[in-house]
Amino acid sequence: MIDMRLLVVEDEATLLQSIREYFALEDFTCDGAATYAAAVNKIDDHPYDCIILDINLPDGNGLRLLQYLRRQKKDDGVIIISARNSVQDRISGLDLGADDYLTKPFHLSELNARVKALLRRKSQRSSDVLVADMFAIDLAARVATCNGCQLALTKGEFDLLVYLINNKNRVVSKQAIAEHIYGDQSDNMPSFDFVYSQIKNLKRKLKEKGHEDLIQSVYGLGYKLSL
Amino acid sequence: MSKPLLQKNTKYLLTWLPMVLLGCSVLFFLLLRMQAHHMQDKQLQLKQRNVWSSFTGTGGAVAPHVRGEYDIVKRSDTLSVGQGALRDTSLYYPDRAKLLPFETLTSRYTWNGDGYEVTVYVSSTEISHLIVKVFIAEAVILLLLLVAIVVLNRNSAKRLWQPFSASLQKMENYDITRNQPLDLTAETGITEFNALHKVIGQLVDRSNSAYNNQKQFVENASHEMQTPLAIIRSKLELLINEPGLTEKNAAILQHITEANDRLSLMNRTLLLLARIENNQFPETETVNISNLLPRLLADLQQYYDSFPSLESNIAANLTVVANRSLIEILLYNLLTNAVVHNTENGRIRMTLEPSRLSISNTGKVLQYDPETLFERFRKDSYSTKTTGLGLALVKEICILYGYTISYEHSNGWHTVSILFA
Repeated sequence: MIDMRLLVVEDEATLLQSIREYFALEDFTCDGAATYAAAVNKIDDHPYDCIILDINLPDGNGLRLLQYLRRQKKDDGVIIISARNSVQDRISGLDLGADDYLTKPFHLSELNARVKALLRRKSQRSSDVLVADMFAIDLAARVATCNGCQLALTKGEFDLLVYLINNKNRVVSKQAIAEHIYGDQSDNMPSFDFVYSQIKNLKRKLKEKGHEDLIQSVYGLGYKLSL
Repeated sequence: MSKPLLQKNTKYLLTWLPMVLLGCSVLFFLLLRMQAHHMQDKQLQLKQRNVWSSFTGTGGAVAPHVRGEYDIVKRSDTLSVGQGALRDTSLYYPDRAKLLPFETLTSRYTWNGDGYEVTVYVSSTEISHLIVKVFIAEAVILLLLLVAIVVLNRNSAKRLWQPFSASLQKMENYDITRNQPLDLTAETGITEFNALHKVIGQLVDRSNSAYNNQKQFVENASHEMQTPLAIIRSKLELLINEPGLTEKNAAILQHITEANDRLSLMNRTLLLLARIENNQFPETETVNISNLLPRLLADLQQYYDSFPSLESNIAANLTVVANRSLIEILLYNLLTNAVVHNTENGRIRMTLEPSRLSISNTGKVLQYDPETLFERFRKDSYSTKTTGLGLALVKEICILYGYTISYEHSNGWHTVSILFA
């Protein structure tokens, strides 16, 4: 996934900066726009592989930008990031042609994983295979191979591996992992027991394939998969 | 002491009205007697004139004594009694062998140079009988009047207060959280009630608007907080990716992350509560709780290493028509509560009967009034794993769908039950 072009439309300058900084580590060109007008200009200038779109903009609604985009017959991928989390908002966003919907506050690693998934779907229409170094992961068939050898993973371990590969060479916080795996149904703080045990199992299974220390724990804050 | 208005009014009437009527009766009796006396006086005067003119007209040939009618006595001395004054007397009637009461009037006349004393009699028996009969009739009428007044008063009060009772019923059923208007009849036909309804209507409108503003405020405030929370979270993610992170800094970051996550969680739950209150979950479907529950349980058993030992008894095919995510949130919160607030090596007992779910867990005794268990931010001080909003959320969902939720504690078991009906 080289030479991908991203546009982040977000009126909150510091959040915009965080997102751009996070994506700067990927091989992406990442543009930013803080207003509706600036976003329209950028969209007219370039085709984007993915647009990360905030709904509340000072001079217009993000959904209108989405309508504008689709009227121009542009098929740029769109991920909506919104402070509003209602089924209605989600449905109207997806109805207008958004590819994904993420509610604030989100984890950047989650946004990254969603962007990667979207870009993959757009570039490989026939199959959905994630290739990274020694890993080849067929996301449709849910089969992971390492150096051509199949890894016997549980559902949780598989999801965790995909998440770590999507965020490779970064520290992914255990909270982000927990939310990615559990969802956000409970008012109780998540238990990290499951994250710890899944990481342990995954490390053991990778070690069996001769890849020890591929996943490192970072001071109990999170984990990093180095490729 | 509070009593119904009707009863109070009746009691008041029954206390005072007989007294008034009794007073009136006494007055009536006195007036009646006075009038009777006056009438006898006139009768006697007339009789006296008639007797005297008959006596002088016949040249004294009339019988001077007729018992019970008159006496004419020739007297030269002064009058033996006061002239023209009525006197009570009684005459003996041998045929009836008793004394009968009479009223007499004595006057002095002069005829042919002689002085005469004329005394006329009128029987008191008939008049006193009449007085008694009239008085009894009057008493009966007053008694009937008393009953009629009380009955009429009760009935008319019932009719008059009917709009009030109807409005009271409506106000009792009024629930501000349901966001419904209070429909009081504008025209009751009674000015005071119309005014009351108008004032209550305005009061309810003001309360509704204040309540809605408050709900809207919570929702807006929560929305506004999402972006700063997103900024903090994103900066923390960038920070943990900084090279040269020391263990000490990592520990600080850990604490900031935890606090921020708690804040995010609290904010998300407050937002959810506000949205449930604002009826923003109109989509419903048939949700099979019998299928959903084991799935959530299996997830949770995976997520917690120290999941308490579980006894469950789940009846098949319990379905409800509701919003699926809300039902999932409801069950998930109840289940995680039973896990989080459990003791070491604790237990969970779960029973799903048709239309009733009970989840019991072992746990410490509550440090607060169980009545307030479902209130917001109600939690034990030692608990940092929760926001104290979970059960408030559960309760709010139950209110939305009309489920009955209850809590009880016995023998070290905390039980929360939900009646889906």
